[in-house]
Amino acid sequence: MRVLVCAKQVPEVTDVQVDPETGTLNRDGVASILNPFCEYAMDLALDLKKGMDDVEIVVLSMGPPQARAALMRCLEMGADRAILVTDRRFAGADTWATALTISKIVEKLDKVDLILVGKHAIDGDTAQVGPELAECLNIPQVTYAVGLELDEKRRRVRVRRETDRGHQVVQMRLPGLVSVSKGAALRRVCSFQDILEARRKELITMTADDLGVDESELGLKGSLTQVVKIFPPVEREAGRVVDGTNPPLAARQVVEFLKDKHFV
Amino acid sequence: MLVVDSKACTGCKLCEKNCPFSAMIVVEGTAKALENCTLCGACMNVCSEHAIQIERAQASPEELARYSGVFIWAECEEHGDRLVPKKVVLELLHEGRRLAEQLGEQVKVLVLTDGRPVDLDPLFAHGADGVIRYENKLLDRYSTDAYTTVVSGIIAAKKPSVFLLGATPDGRDLAPRVAARLKLGLTADCTMLEINEDRQLVQTRPAFGGNIMASILTPFSRPQMATVRPNVFQVGDAAPGRTGEVEDFEVTLNKGAVRTRLLEVEAVVEEAVESIENARVIVAAGQGCQALENLSLIRELAEELGGSMAGSRPIVEAGWIPHTIQVGQSGTTVSPDLYIAVGISGAVQHVVGMSGSRTIVAINNDPEAPIFKVADIGIVGDAMEILPVLIREIREAKAAA
Amino acid sequence: MNNTNSQHEIRAETVPEIAFDTVRRIDGLEEIAANYAPYLADESRLPHQGADYLFFPNDEAELAAVMREMSRQGKPVTISGARTGLVGGAVPAGGAIVSMDRFDKVVDIRYDEGSKEWRLSVESAVSLRDLGDWINKKSFPGLLGRASPETEKQFGLFKEDPRSYFYPPDPTEMSASLGGTVATNASGAASFRYGATREWIRGLRVMLASGEVLDVPRGKYFVTGDRKFTVVNGAGERTPLTLPSYRMPETKKNTAGFFSAPGMDLIDLFIGSEGLFGIITRVEIALEVWHSSISVVQFLPSDEAALDFVIGLREEKDIRPEFVEFYDDGALALLRDRQRENPKFIDMPPIPEDAGAAVFYDIEFDGNAAAPDFSRLEEVTRRCGASLAQTWAGYERRDLARFRHFRHALPETVNSIIGERKKAHPGLHKLGTDLAVPDACLREIWQFYKERLAAAGLEWVVFGHIGDNHLHVNILPKDMDELARGLDIYRDFARKAVDLHGTVSAEHGIGKMKKKFLAVMFTPDELEEMAALKLALDPQAMMNPGDILDIQGAVQ
Repeated sequence: MRVLVCAKQVPEVTDVQVDPETGTLNRDGVASILNPFCEYAMDLALDLKKGMDDVEIVVLSMGPPQARAALMRCLEMGADRAILVTDRRFAGADTWATALTISKIVEKLDKVDLILVGKHAIDGDTAQVGPELAECLNIPQVTYAVGLELDEKRRRVRVRRETDRGHQVVQMRLPGLVSVSKGAALRRVCSFQDILEARRKELITMTADDLGVDESELGLKGSLTQVVKIFPPVEREAGRVVDGTNPPLAARQVVEFLKDKHFV
Repeated sequence: MLVVDSKACTGCKLCEKNCPFSAMIVVEGTAKALENCTLCGACMNVCSEHAIQIERAQASPEELARYSGVFIWAECEEHGDRLVPKKVVLELLHEGRRLAEQLGEQVKVLVLTDGRPVDLDPLFAHGADGVIRYENKLLDRYSTDAYTTVVSGIIAAKKPSVFLLGATPDGRDLAPRVAARLKLGLTADCTMLEINEDRQLVQTRPAFGGNIMASILTPFSRPQMATVRPNVFQVGDAAPGRTGEVEDFEVTLNKGAVRTRLLEVEAVVEEAVESIENARVIVAAGQGCQALENLSLIRELAEELGGSMAGSRPIVEAGWIPHTIQVGQSGTTVSPDLYIAVGISGAVQHVVGMSGSRTIVAINNDPEAPIFKVADIGIVGDAMEILPVLIREIREAKAAA
Repeated sequence: MNNTNSQHEIRAETVPEIAFDTVRRIDGLEEIAANYAPYLADESRLPHQGADYLFFPNDEAELAAVMREMSRQGKPVTISGARTGLVGGAVPAGGAIVSMDRFDKVVDIRYDEGSKEWRLSVESAVSLRDLGDWINKKSFPGLLGRASPETEKQFGLFKEDPRSYFYPPDPTEMSASLGGTVATNASGAASFRYGATREWIRGLRVMLASGEVLDVPRGKYFVTGDRKFTVVNGAGERTPLTLPSYRMPETKKNTAGFFSAPGMDLIDLFIGSEGLFGIITRVEIALEVWHSSISVVQFLPSDEAALDFVIGLREEKDIRPEFVEFYDDGALALLRDRQRENPKFIDMPPIPEDAGAAVFYDIEFDGNAAAPDFSRLEEVTRRCGASLAQTWAGYERRDLARFRHFRHALPETVNSIIGERKKAHPGLHKLGTDLAVPDACLREIWQFYKERLAAAGLEWVVFGHIGDNHLHVNILPKDMDELARGLDIYRDFARKAVDLHGTVSAEHGIGKMKKKFLAVMFTPDELEEMAALKLALDPQAMMNPGDILDIQGAVQ
């Protein structure tokens, strides 16, 4: 059985700011990490593999050459091999062009039974590439998974799905795609041995030439949406701050404030 | 244009059975599209041989201009034996109405039901000019495959210029599926929508965890699709008695095309969820609350102010509260009149979920905590020392009044 | 004067006289307590003994005016840096507080051809955090506006240098001022590889009680073979100095007593002297080339295996960890307990149930390197009954943050336990040792600690800088009786450390709180020698009264 995990490298978002002067993204000194939800997808893949020697976990990432580090992270966690999909011609791809590109790679791989993706990437936060990929591949999907189980015949998975009302359990035929919103309850930690072994695993690179797709379908040219402007969000004005070392005094000031606003 | 690879086609008739518009037939062992084909893509999706391709050439501006109407998906929830549109649908109607008037087009709502009655009055009262209704017992619960097929069918046939969905879990499951099937541009989780001088929809959304805003256009495809974050737009005033036409739409939906099955539903207490989305007052707890027992103080304060309790990601992860009352980027976006953040540092991922609140009060022991940057009033101190006093003071103030 | 003589003699610089009244000053304890309360305390939480003035001089001229006036008024002076010290060094004992807050500028950067290193001159109040940040970004606020053309040129070359640099001393508390860390010869985990602050200081400017300044570069002035030196003041008067005759502890880290050795560099006398001889106004530091590293928490079957591991690491000269920290069996048990109940630990991985001790180290590692070779490390680990599979490891910033959490969790936990117990016994406090011994004595001191603690039946945990044989034994007394017994044991430990040629204060300093331990380490005669040296340089005993030595100075 082959499980494909799609991984994205993202900046540690909290540090990314728009330069108010130039209106461009300032990414100086921002570290790049594996998108946390992709890491959760790896968690579920590893849970599935536990105790089953014939499950192979392949991890794929589309991005710049540095995205290799995100793949390395997955190999350290326990993925068996990795594919880096990188080419300048992919630059500027929106979710549609990204999903289409990845679908062409998946079609090149030998039989993939299950695709796991993060529910969204913390930079773009669109949650679109997964479902669009599933649609390109004509396979079913279950989004927002927090756990999954394989049936004995490995023809179906049962997915525990998070909704705004609680949880659902959804059964899906394979091959299919699952987007993951939560991984192991306690964050996994790698050992030094895992880290050293990861560097001995297979990591190959694929480019636009390996896809057999017209260049007009790729990157910015193949995108259906266009970002026309980025700008910093309007910040709320900060109010006043009260010293809380004397709780009754502080509480009284807040109550006065609430009274003024007619909440009390 | 729909192209069938006659070598790959086995003549299995799956496409014929699953075509929403009965526009596919198998002749002499090969599939063929009829005149009434809308290019909705349902056949492509069910074909196990990948024998069907739809070539979607870039449309000319003249062609794009022929698309008309602002369409909204009415995601519904169960209320007894009726289906009621979610609050986000009313928010979308208010916004959609504004856009439609600028464009001089109509607002139409897509209503999908398994046969249970749907409250249509609020849709009209909040601005819908018409409802397109489709009924099929396969739609008793949301499923990606069934909903994608029906919604793609309606959109392909009706050709609106704008199609909006709520960025709810199911909305974000459905929208990209429909977009990919019809090869449409899609913008996720918008917080601002405008029409520009070229009659294009300018879709603005936060990215990088709320650190930046991006404005996006969909120049080459119609409809321009967007999902919209709940609780960002206002629900407008209702105009009772306002009506519109209801059109019952006909498409074929085949059970075999639905590849998932809902086995179980575990709902977290309904009121809890209702209350944070619609609450006027929210008291939210963070990891500064130190221990599970202390949440009783949060609950007490919430009750005292007639509000409800919520929390930030760390205490959800700790299992203290269900994720359904988590506020923030990975939880719910809320915009109450009063939001009290107790022991929440205010990471940007939390702030994007609550910064629309009218009034914000923060209690935190770290004077550098970013929550103070958005708070109207903040107390720097130990929340667990301050809360009991605050509750007492509020009680006294109420008693005095 | 011949060359040899000039090495043993320094001439003080006079500073232009300006009016004392131009210096920003806060008068009276009442005003200070009301609006400047932080200047009356440091991290020791030791109560202050009052202050009449609080000064904020802008430069050496203003500082000199303050010193001259306080000397005239007969008032002692307590130097106030960032007040992050743990032994009360900056807590005023009457007289004046001199805040160095405004000495916050970068003065110069230059490449030293002789030592092939970049050197940075900064004023003493710059915090380690700002310093680190500026070096990392190669951006020094305001430098270009006031720098000479030569400095500007050097700064340009520094920016062009493709390598990244850092300042290695890291005493954990990054809000500490650079001057404070020099005055206390601060050290920390990273001292294992890089040594204490002393190793990185290339020059100092020190203002004496007289208001004159000594400019002391490293490598220019040395005490004689019989530890003598002469200071010549602006008026040409000669003051002979004799350094104490004691033997220094044989540990890498030491902050107890003045540095003294035959023929030593004069600069070393001022480093670690806790401000008793003067006020450091400017510091020249050396920078080191930065490299990426990996953090590893190695779990081992027992405390003894952990000791073997540390000794094994030290014996392998090719393995050069940045630091080596230790957590004993009890420390891991305490953390496991906390982990079960406190959501703050949500991001900390669970500690393996079978682990009997842990050693935390950082080691150079390039995440992009194809096949790094750590076979020697694997071998050492295996010899101690463990493997690299029994580790937590990570090199990304977020991993490091999780591990830092692990590092800080223990002291926080100990403090919160004591905090709880204090409610029933207000006089209670934790007992944390700061003793270090030479490398060869690690096993011996560990046995001694363990036997004495087990026999006493007290609750305790041990963690700390094992690489430098500098373990913090933390005794957690449950009541006042246990506190008293704990104090006795602490004193025994201190005596044992001194017997092994160790130190009673490896990194916290002596200040006002650890003077009793100085008496364990030095004889009364040696303490007299220290006092005599102090009074030779500061005849009125104006500087930092009550720190290190109990001297009744001429000041009232």
